[in-house]
Amino acid sequence: MNTQRAKYPFAILTGLTLVGALAGCSTAAEGDTGSTADGGDTSSTTAPDASGSSTAGSYTDGEYTESADYQSPNGTEKVTVTVTLADGVITEVKAVGDGDNPNSKRYQSEFADGIADVVVGKNIDDISVDKVAGSSLTSAGFNDAIEAIKADAAS
Amino acid sequence: MFDAIGTRWQIDTVDPLPPEVVERIAARVEAFDRTYSRFRDDSLVSEIAKTPGTYRLPDDADDLFGLYRRLYEATDAAVSPLVGRTLETMGYDRGYSLRPEARRAPVPSWEDSLAFSDGELTTLRPLVLDVGAAGKGYLVDIVGRLVAAAGVDSFVIDASGDIVHAGGDPIRVALEHPRDPGKAIGVVTLANGSLCASASNRRSWGDGLHHIIDATTGLPTERVIATWAMAATGLEADGLATALFLAEPQRLALTFEFDFVRMFANGRIERSPHLDGELFL
Repeated sequence: MNTQRAKYPFAILTGLTLVGALAGCSTAAEGDTGSTADGGDTSSTTAPDASGSSTAGSYTDGEYTESADYQSPNGTEKVTVTVTLADGVITEVKAVGDGDNPNSKRYQSEFADGIADVVVGKNIDDISVDKVAGSSLTSAGFNDAIEAIKADAAS
Repeated sequence: MFDAIGTRWQIDTVDPLPPEVVERIAARVEAFDRTYSRFRDDSLVSEIAKTPGTYRLPDDADDLFGLYRRLYEATDAAVSPLVGRTLETMGYDRGYSLRPEARRAPVPSWEDSLAFSDGELTTLRPLVLDVGAAGKGYLVDIVGRLVAAAGVDSFVIDASGDIVHAGGDPIRVALEHPRDPGKAIGVVTLANGSLCASASNRRSWGDGLHHIIDATTGLPTERVIATWAMAATGLEADGLATALFLAEPQRLALTFEFDFVRMFANGRIERSPHLDGELFL
């Protein structure tokens, strides 16, 4: 059942030019589809429970994410594709590679761990820390100037 | 606690610092500001901006320019001390006019305009130096040395987000959410080293106008919105916090030893694998 659910995105994706291109160099895609259903790797499926009642041509709305490894001249790289379905129609497709720009691939190494999740954060008051590192305190002169401009704009 | 170079400083020690040490620190900070600030008329940097020539710089310039040169090379010239004039024309000037001029000045290249060796700086044209990328972290190091020289071996110096820790128990430092100062995106542990933070949107004065600019394009960066770098010194950590806006960490790691967290405009987070801390995802 799970494998069935996980396969839908790729069944849909192959119809798209974008993913056609990805699939072309993404021989591991099919294998990964199976493994992600076990919750492996970085994939997450945040769709509402897509039960086995789905039949071909009728997809459950939600967001589907799949990761696949592919071989590039730089070695194995990963691409993550997220597809959003609403009323059985793809409303959004996002494909995220290892790096945000071509340069990063030139220096691909183990050094950086990209985390695709949007950070949630915690209230600083709720955690026990000695210091806070940010840049909320900017120069007094700068802040005064900003206030002056706001006042100008308001008058 | 005191104010210096336009920001709030706090020095934590077990015993209060003797008044003469506090005075020494204040004088040292003033001397640094008087040399490097482009925001005051009477600074050496303002003098250099008026007249090209050869200038004798204080002893602290060796490390500062050395670090800038390493960053310049590791970022393919994206981090540069020569962004001052460009920032001024964007409105980030001595009077904080915060009003961009019609024409933004380009950033001159290091090779065409500047030579530094043995404490002597030679400029070939009027240059507005801006050491904002690493100057504050460096000053935290310098103050730390003064505190250590007074026989205090355990202290924390916090210059509003640029922190140096020495001796004693490690400290836990929250990484402030750049879009919500009441929140932390994570916590790191700092021991005998420095943590410096930088965020572009917290010092912004208009659409796409902030103080972190790519010296190769003269444009403010947009892809990364906040960085935190941990390194042995404040000089390195502060410079790297800026460099992480403009270069890939993998590339910087060829030259520098550091840990980092950075946040992209799309909310994505990136971190070094051995970071001593956790992120709240």
